[in-house]
Amino acid sequence: MPDIAARRAKAVTGFMRQVTTILAAEGVTPSALHALKLKLAALGQKVDLFPPAHFADPVAEGRFHPLAVPADGPALYLSINKPGKEAAPHDHGIWCVNASISGRERHLLYRRIDDATKPGVAVVEKVGEVMVAPGQGFAMADHDIHSTEVLGDAPAIGLALYGYPLARFPSVVWYHPDLGTTRATASKRHTDAA
Amino acid sequence: MARKPKLHQVTIANTGAVIACAADQTLLRAALVAGIDYPYACASGNCGQCIGQLDAGTVDMLPRSDASLSPEQFHAGRVLACRARPRGDVTITWLGRGRK
Repeated sequence: MPDIAARRAKAVTGFMRQVTTILAAEGVTPSALHALKLKLAALGQKVDLFPPAHFADPVAEGRFHPLAVPADGPALYLSINKPGKEAAPHDHGIWCVNASISGRERHLLYRRIDDATKPGVAVVEKVGEVMVAPGQGFAMADHDIHSTEVLGDAPAIGLALYGYPLARFPSVVWYHPDLGTTRATASKRHTDAA
Repeated sequence: MARKPKLHQVTIANTGAVIACAADQTLLRAALVAGIDYPYACASGNCGQCIGQLDAGTVDMLPRSDASLSPEQFHAGRVLACRARPRGDVTITWLGRGRK
């Protein structure tokens, strides 16, 4: 029986091949993202391929481990986020699919409702909620807005497939409903791919 | 009747402003409420835009991602204003660029 790391590598390679096939056939459509979500959720259910001993805990409360990260294009990570770890509402500027291995992470979905005419000012309203727990996945289009929070006493360990590697992300736009503000980080798309 | 959290004095070295910050409030939140144009983006411990040097005092840190503040930075006295809650009077210098 192949060792766990070898079996994981084979499963990840197979999954990334499916990602390429689906996106080549359909483009980044809602149905393609749905298909990716189902396949990523199935990969996340192979818990034996992702033993905690193979992935170091965060030094603080949140950490990404690269599983399949090319110079550019879709990239797959294993994320570990401890209880209480959160992210304010944000728009990655690129599509994303999440699936759980263990633990629970709540995603709140928002939409922007102001006219975006005042720099630094934004109004968003909550429009939905998704709990990403074992067996479940979640897909977002390029400019969907979501917040995250790890619930419960256990870390949320999951798989995250992004349209680009984290090191090559576009500008991420953050929203702060209680302050009525928005701020953006700089795009990394202009830098040379590693 | 619930007791109000203790207030501490926070000095923002970049501007010289001295503001009040409750023990359960982050330095960033107190600065923004006080009208200071403190640099930030995620305000939730992910992006590192609000990184600052803690010149004096001590803080408690709320959960954050490893990518937002390295262990070396943390041990060198750097903190994220969006995650830092004062344990007493503190002085902080922001290291990011202010919004123009």
